[in-house]
Amino acid sequence: MAQKDLGFYDQLEARGVTRRDFLKFCGTMTAILGLSEGMAPAIASAVEGAAGSSLFPAVWMDGGLCTGCTESVAQVTKPDIATILLDILSLNYMETISMSQGEHAEEALHETATHNEGKFVLVYEGSVMTGLDGNLLRVAEKTSLESLKEIGSKAAAIIAVGSCAVDGGWVRSVPSVKADGYPQEPEAWATGVSQYLASQNINTPVINLPCCPVNPEWVVAMIIDAVMLGGIDADGKVTAAFASKLDEEGRPKSIYGQTIHDNCPRRGHFENGEFVYKFGSPEEAAGYCLYPVGCKGPQTKTNCPVVRWNDKASWCVESGAPCIGCGNFNWVDENAPFLGRFRNIGLGMKKPVNPAAAATVVGGVAVAALAAHGFGMKAAGRIGAGAPMEKMKDWDRKHGASKKGGDK
Amino acid sequence: MPFVLYHWINALAMLFLTLSGLYIHYPVFPGFMGTARGVHFFWMFTLIINLIVRIVLAFFVKSAVMPSTREQDIDYKNWLPQEANRHQFIAWIKYYTFFKKEHPISAKYAGPQKMSYLITVPLTFFAAYTGFALWGPTSDWAFFAAGTRFFADLFGAGIGGGNLMGIRIVHYWTMWAILLFTAVHAYLANIYNFDPSRMIFLWKENDKGH
Amino acid sequence: MVKSVIDPVTRIEGHLRVECEVENGVITDAWVSGTLFRGMETIMQGRDPSDAYFISQRICGVCPISHGHASSMSAESALGVDFPGGARLVRNLIEAAEFLHSHILWFYTLAALDYVNPAKALEADIAATYDLAQAAGTSTANFAAVQSRIKTLVEGGDLSIFTNGYLDHPGYPEDMPAELHLIAVAHYLEALEVQAEAAQIIALMGGKFPHFMTSIPGGTAWVPTVEKLDDVLFRFKRVHDWIYSTMIPDTLAIAPFYKDALTYGGGHGNFLAWGVFDSASRELPDRYLPSGAVFTSKGLSVEEADEGKILEYVDHTWLNGDGKALHPSEGKTVPPQAFTGYDPKTEYSWAKAPRYDGAAMEVGPLARMVVAYLKGVAPVKTLIDTALEALGAAGKPEVLVSLLGRIAARNLEAAVIADWSLEWVTELIETIKSGEKLEFHKPLKEKNGKGAGLWEAPRGALGHWMNVSGGKIANYQVCTPSTWDLSPRDADGIRGPMEEALIGVPVIDPERPIEAGRIARSFDP
Repeated sequence: MAQKDLGFYDQLEARGVTRRDFLKFCGTMTAILGLSEGMAPAIASAVEGAAGSSLFPAVWMDGGLCTGCTESVAQVTKPDIATILLDILSLNYMETISMSQGEHAEEALHETATHNEGKFVLVYEGSVMTGLDGNLLRVAEKTSLESLKEIGSKAAAIIAVGSCAVDGGWVRSVPSVKADGYPQEPEAWATGVSQYLASQNINTPVINLPCCPVNPEWVVAMIIDAVMLGGIDADGKVTAAFASKLDEEGRPKSIYGQTIHDNCPRRGHFENGEFVYKFGSPEEAAGYCLYPVGCKGPQTKTNCPVVRWNDKASWCVESGAPCIGCGNFNWVDENAPFLGRFRNIGLGMKKPVNPAAAATVVGGVAVAALAAHGFGMKAAGRIGAGAPMEKMKDWDRKHGASKKGGDK
Repeated sequence: MPFVLYHWINALAMLFLTLSGLYIHYPVFPGFMGTARGVHFFWMFTLIINLIVRIVLAFFVKSAVMPSTREQDIDYKNWLPQEANRHQFIAWIKYYTFFKKEHPISAKYAGPQKMSYLITVPLTFFAAYTGFALWGPTSDWAFFAAGTRFFADLFGAGIGGGNLMGIRIVHYWTMWAILLFTAVHAYLANIYNFDPSRMIFLWKENDKGH
Repeated sequence: MVKSVIDPVTRIEGHLRVECEVENGVITDAWVSGTLFRGMETIMQGRDPSDAYFISQRICGVCPISHGHASSMSAESALGVDFPGGARLVRNLIEAAEFLHSHILWFYTLAALDYVNPAKALEADIAATYDLAQAAGTSTANFAAVQSRIKTLVEGGDLSIFTNGYLDHPGYPEDMPAELHLIAVAHYLEALEVQAEAAQIIALMGGKFPHFMTSIPGGTAWVPTVEKLDDVLFRFKRVHDWIYSTMIPDTLAIAPFYKDALTYGGGHGNFLAWGVFDSASRELPDRYLPSGAVFTSKGLSVEEADEGKILEYVDHTWLNGDGKALHPSEGKTVPPQAFTGYDPKTEYSWAKAPRYDGAAMEVGPLARMVVAYLKGVAPVKTLIDTALEALGAAGKPEVLVSLLGRIAARNLEAAVIADWSLEWVTELIETIKSGEKLEFHKPLKEKNGKGAGLWEAPRGALGHWMNVSGGKIANYQVCTPSTWDLSPRDADGIRGPMEEALIGVPVIDPERPIEAGRIARSFDP
């Protein structure tokens, strides 16, 4: 939306964003969207152009959340979050930011959905709380499930930000612990937007952006792609071209296509076998590979090493901590213990086991059994000469050899 | 003696695959990751090629005399159910658990024996399959990604797919399964006397025959 | 008597419902309901003690740093590890950045719109705005650009985040000049950048924000170098300068128009702090902001805080609990088999009701500042005395027990911490330059033990309790600042701190209770 008195770049400059910063941002966006760098000017003009037309209606709903994804998105700097909120989207409902409160906020949510039916974007943050018939989360005297069904069925598309919205995140891990009052099926406690809507036969397209929290630049990239580069057409339909950029799980391939390990700046140390075995060690200071302290980079697909975090200030592995795989599905059960090489299995037992320990025990028992069997063989006198060969097959004896031919 | 060679290649492959695999799983000392991965690949291919050659040979080589005949059978028939083994499965189990004194009469391979031998074929291919599903350049191939998805779902992975942890654990367990087979195999082959080992290690056949 | 309800309370972290009874324009009773239950404490069972550090941060995306630190401390205390000196300095710095980030975000992004009206900013005269900013000693911005930006938004008909805001509410003081509204709106937008800069400090040391990676149990995984600390220092300086040039003057410029807020909103007047920012001794009372408990009804004196005096009640919550109040070290969190419905008379919240020595305690910046003031922490004393003077209440610290006091305490705390942060970075840089060998991490060794991590989040006293048996977590309990401040009634019917603070608050329009929203947000729930 244009500031009529000032040009787009003047507006940016007034906010301390230089033209160069902005174009650099557009370059980053091409990388995230999997476009060629030549597309950067197209993004720039799309953002400029949006600053001259009416705002795209959007609402941001909170499920069972920690507000970390909102916080994360607030960390985007070029363009800053204010540009997104005031110049690109008309974000008419967002619990953490909205000026309105209570029933008036609720009214803004429903009016936006009704007036722009099929033409607005819904951003969902936090788990879909299915437990206790949805009463684990009540907003405005309704379960959050009722609101998600109503608003979700009217949206043109839904962006599920963060692991919680994608598949329940850490919250779905709760039922994997046997405890009073919790169901044993994770989905009966908390689930993700796409699974929940599928269970309700609502087929609004869902873009999944798993990670805990979501990386803000991914959200901005999706908004630019969907809203400004025509991913959602004038009728509120997600175009085939846009849909083809998503994988089977609804994740943008350009973001979730490669492992962290593949793009890790410490990869060279991995190949050389230069490892950190102890935190705070000289190896740690030298920036060696964190694989032995449990890095889940080899099995986690996000572009964190490329996009990095907090205006590219750093990212997990650069700071000296192993990746905990928070971009994976079911990421807590999938990756804990985070400082170990394997996940634990048999969650739902009081004490889950480590797969290596389990295999060692099974292997050990088998070897011990063989040894015991060996003594048995010795005791039975079979060693050396072998056991006496039976004269006749037991079967034949029991069933009578007289039977014609018998069993050979 | 192609079968001695075959055993040697298998043994070496298993040794190197296990050691390099364990190193890749957790590099106990620094310095060898690149090498370990190279070794793991080399011996994986060696093992697979060796297995394929063995399977092909099974269709061309005659190996065993059938009980109470003088005929020699084409090798592959020893792996499939044979008439000589009918109704012997339970007997074998009883024999090994000391419930039966006499050694049952069977073909070259006993029922449980041929089953476990047969299982090593898919098991070895499965180890390679799970390995490729973990390896960056091939992990995206639909053929391998399907396995990743299957085990991810089995391990309870939310909306499924993409999670490599499950298949990694399965790959690791496959190693244990193969080692376990090897242990039982070596044990049962040598429990009566060390003739088989003598053959494998010293290339000497027991002249008394067996 | 009319009912006045805010559901959902917006501009907070998480989900909250506030229900009030209003009689003759004043709130006479109130019920605060936490409307979300996830089950964090249960998920910890059977996991490795060090995993709790990563998982428990996800309780709160605004204060993950504090949860991470409290969790690591609970593991360290349970398993007998003293995290080494280098880690202490690093953790203090990360926590300081978290506090600065959170306080800036709270004052501008979350709370400001209760006091500042963007619609009024449209009426401001640009030249007069510059004059006013200069007179108030606050920083200037491109006020014309900000005004035109808001104008375009309003004229375009899409109000975005201001949709359905109380833009014409009489609760905004008549006499507050439009120019001051414009200054505040300009800084509201600027604050978004400054809070991001503070968060970048966390990212530099902890990988990312929210949910950082490096303060693992036993110390820190981040090894500082002089170059990296230069980056950190540079950003701390910018945040520090902005707090002094903008946030504090803004607070002092707006406060006089809300002076009546010194007369209500105080609540019980009981304060509890575990203390934050470890000194070399690691003792709670020796922390830069020390621990302590204050009962203002018994006079302005501070006693030592004792975690053994906590009991958590679940009588008015939906949680199951056989009517027994438990200490967190043996606490249970059991959801019911079926939801029984919202009823203020019986069960109306998911939040437990923690009580200290039987009393409902307010926690947060006000509690910390009161404790530090009464304990004579020099920079706190100086700053608060100056502020009291500016508010015309010199020598009367008891006026801090009010809505405005709670707001002022938070912003003054930001100033104190900003000063300290510069000191601490410089100290760490000098230590490294001197060649002194610092240790950053010690591994956990024991397999069994019980421990507590008592710390502070920006919004108040935070405790994590961990029992470890055979190397796995057997029980885990968290007592967050929100459980203290937003607690429902206990078995004796004593209101929670926010409920009590709402009593006596004037409400102009029960349909649009902006005043109740101010009280609720003043706790930064």
